[in-house]
Amino acid sequence: MIKQIVLATALTAFSISMAFAQDLRMTVWTGSDAHLGMLNDIAEEFESTHPGVTVNFETIPFSDYVRGLTLQLAGGNPPDLGWLLESSAPIFVDAGVLLDVSDKLRNDAAYNFSDLSQSAMTLWQSSDAIYGIPFSTSPYLTYYNASMFSSAGIATPNQMVKEGSWTWEALRIAAKKLSDPANGVYGFQSPDGLGYDSRIMHTLIPIVRSYGGEAWVNGKCGFDSPEAIQAITLYHQMIFDDKSTVPPGEQANFFTGGAAMTINQISRVSNLDEANFEWGLAPLPSGPSGESPTIGQAAIVAFARGQNTELAAEFLKYMTDTKNSATMAQFFPTARKSVLEGDAFLNSNSAFSAEQMQIVAAAISKGGVLPSHPAYPQIEAAMRPRFDALWQADAVIPSVMASVCRAIQPLL
Amino acid sequence: MPIISLRCRESITGWLFVSPTLAGFLIFFFGPLIAVFGYSATEWNLLTQETSFVGFENYTDALTENQDFWLVFRNSLVFAAGLVPLNMVMALSLAMALSRPFAGQVLFRTIFFAPVITAAVAWAIVWKFLLQGETGTVNQMLAIVGIDGPNWLREPNWAMVAVIVTRVLKTVGLNMILYIAALQSIPRDYTEAALLEGASRWQIFGRIIWPLLTPTTLVIMIVTVVGSLKVFDHIYLMTGGGPENGTMVLAFFIYEQGFEFFNVGYASALAVIMFFLIVALTGLQLRLNGGLQ
Repeated sequence: MIKQIVLATALTAFSISMAFAQDLRMTVWTGSDAHLGMLNDIAEEFESTHPGVTVNFETIPFSDYVRGLTLQLAGGNPPDLGWLLESSAPIFVDAGVLLDVSDKLRNDAAYNFSDLSQSAMTLWQSSDAIYGIPFSTSPYLTYYNASMFSSAGIATPNQMVKEGSWTWEALRIAAKKLSDPANGVYGFQSPDGLGYDSRIMHTLIPIVRSYGGEAWVNGKCGFDSPEAIQAITLYHQMIFDDKSTVPPGEQANFFTGGAAMTINQISRVSNLDEANFEWGLAPLPSGPSGESPTIGQAAIVAFARGQNTELAAEFLKYMTDTKNSATMAQFFPTARKSVLEGDAFLNSNSAFSAEQMQIVAAAISKGGVLPSHPAYPQIEAAMRPRFDALWQADAVIPSVMASVCRAIQPLL
Repeated sequence: MPIISLRCRESITGWLFVSPTLAGFLIFFFGPLIAVFGYSATEWNLLTQETSFVGFENYTDALTENQDFWLVFRNSLVFAAGLVPLNMVMALSLAMALSRPFAGQVLFRTIFFAPVITAAVAWAIVWKFLLQGETGTVNQMLAIVGIDGPNWLREPNWAMVAVIVTRVLKTVGLNMILYIAALQSIPRDYTEAALLEGASRWQIFGRIIWPLLTPTTLVIMIVTVVGSLKVFDHIYLMTGGGPENGTMVLAFFIYEQGFEFFNVGYASALAVIMFFLIVALTGLQLRLNGGLQ
């Protein structure tokens, strides 16, 4: 009799615990072991203070991320939380699919909402509502193969920074000297080698802004401005005249020694774990308009259609508090001012020296986020075929940029 | 107890046997087909889930206002017009060469059929490497004979050629097998009798073999035309519809509208247009075949 009572009680307790067990599913686009290990560590700490809660991270490849996420939302299988790029922010905020977490964040003094940079929050706020917290406000920087520079006897980008001579023209000259296209080695590679496809903006905007141009301003296309044309002409010449940049269709990669320089964010440093060359990190080159750091931003958002909105908001708050922001800053520079200004940030990533992390912090403080727009997918689709005409040796650049603006102006 | 006739019982038995397949057809094919017709009359945003009835507006927009549609339509016809004859000629040629026994016959059949079962992603990745402008194997081989090859996948004039040829190489093996089976079903007496009568090999092919291959040719042509109009993965992986939308075909355009712009209603209208295009072309082929016979 006693055994039966004990068994019944145990079964009842198990059933009740199962009924109260809650799973949180969060979509991310990273498959890096280092990134996922860090995220899982944060999740385990959250789970230890929330019995019955399990947090799972689901990787959707970057190139399919928005598509895959949208299908999950539309298909009745929404995640609870997810990463979201700055280019998708206006679309998702306007669509009303993001959870307003303002009450959860503003009413908790320990969270210290005012510590978040307000300029970094621009895309993620609408009136008083808060739809996401940037976990990565990461500037684009210049990675360079120090071994190649040393072998060629050329001043490195950081040496040129100290001399005040680190410009896009200087990058062009260095790239040309370091190129050996016959042997598949180039002086410069666009971000992730996707500068002719999905990362056109990430490739051109840093140069265009340093020349005083912009993609669009106040609803007017800026790609056909004299400044933008001058900047894009320099890049075009690097590809087709100097033959110093990995050309369209080629697969040479900086991280495997196929290019002397590239521009990318610090999250890519894990690609250098097995590099057989010395490498360095420098700011983006300056242009006629001076320095113009460019920032790529991503936020953690909770979805209004998720199964556990209250818990999701709680986890979002936990992930972006001061402690975990500092933890994630080793790969994803935070928008928290206290973290960026502290010594812990400078020493947060063993792959970078404190001096290199200072470059990161300086770029964040001065940089501008990549362009975004509520009709960004349509703008990108309209731009891409017009930009294809740019990647030909005989392209007439003013004419091509005019066609780009004709295509996207109605959408702006 | 009512008496059920034998005929009725057999009919019920027959329907029971086909019911699983019929249920699958209705649920997974016919149902979605009807649903697409319905969606095509709506403006439905996949992200916001907002839906409104717009009647034929999506169709008029595609056919009269969207200039990209006619470019895409033309690209689809060009792709089909390039792929189908090349595929069928190659398939028949290979079948003729490999239908008679010789040492290595099985090896060669395997070599030409292997691309059919190769994963599309692997096929595309390998060919993207081979077709690189500067360091690609194809251009390096052309350079040996003094030819400066183009940047195959990045030049508007050559990208369509490249995707057609690589698609043909991937799919010709299947049509080759179908032709081999058809050739082997032709009684050898016919060709032997013709040889004894003094007919040349071309006459034997034109007067005996080709007419007897007509049913197989019709099937292959219909399947290949339909497949070429529906191509998506190959374009997505090789060129992404570029350069300058030069390889943007209908299926990819539909995907872009539905899953990148979230306009499910408009994408459904495009899908309906493609459906009727395929039906029309299939009907035309059947009519032509009826006329030839």
